[in-house]
Amino acid sequence: MSTSPVSPAATRATSAQATAESFFDAYRRRDVEAMVDLCADNAKFRYVPFEVWARQRVVRGDGQVCTVGKAIWTTLIDAFPDLSNSVTSVRGDEDGNVAVEVSIGGTQARDFGVIASRGGHYDLPHLFLLHVDGDGFIDDIVAYWDSADWQKQLDWLEVD
Amino acid sequence: MSARSVAQEFFACLQSGDADKVSGLLASGATVALVPLGVTGTMAGEGAAYLQALAEAFPDLMVRTRRLFVTADNAAVAEVTLDGTQAADFLGAVNQEKHFDLDQAWILQVDDQDRITAVTGYWCQNQAYRRLGVKRLDKISITAR
Repeated sequence: MSTSPVSPAATRATSAQATAESFFDAYRRRDVEAMVDLCADNAKFRYVPFEVWARQRVVRGDGQVCTVGKAIWTTLIDAFPDLSNSVTSVRGDEDGNVAVEVSIGGTQARDFGVIASRGGHYDLPHLFLLHVDGDGFIDDIVAYWDSADWQKQLDWLEVD
Repeated sequence: MSARSVAQEFFACLQSGDADKVSGLLASGATVALVPLGVTGTMAGEGAAYLQALAEAFPDLMVRTRRLFVTADNAAVAEVTLDGTQAADFLGAVNQEKHFDLDQAWILQVDDQDRITAVTGYWCQNQAYRRLGVKRLDKISITAR
């Protein structure tokens, strides 16, 4: 059986995309430990829209997967116990960068941050930008979404 | 040219508000999806309207590219930060001359002629409203001083 030649660059891109897809498979199963296991020990984490404005400071969703990321995912799944996702596109490059467009949604069962639970359901497009290192672990996660759309779907209309 | 340089040119046009120059980067019928605004259409129509509104509201706009990579299917993926001072109403938010900074991510699909065929933008409109003093999502024009 012959095999078609595959360039190392294509292999890196394909492998990184597969890791990204495994991450969202784990997220769909709401398996936070599996999500974390796909990440490097000191993987960076940044949820861009996540910011809580208190009187004296702004708390941002910025830090490491093992601390901030894991806590946010756990809290989110607790608040939305049927949380799921549907990946719509996965694109990668030869340096391990991956862009994933994914719709994430769920039904609210508990308060989440300032968003009081009214039992609402949301579905929200997200863009995740991941970086997968040479060992196949995700070492950087950045995500974008629109919290205005999210809050409106959950009937929470205060900007702050 | 390459997808990377096309993207760099696109963000230079975003900063200068030069919609005409953007049109020179586009393939015929190039599409746009401005996800937070729920806007889909053509770059010549809806896309140009957004660029024009942005340029009019923030005449001192700066666009800083923080990350840019090109995927195997020739899509340029970029994280940028917009910085500016509001000088006119913007997307329903009245002008209070507030400083505005907003992180965005864009996907520009580029064809083999180095023309952009599709533009997709992601950002948090709630952050934009917060910067502009909007207090409620159902009353965008009512702002806090």
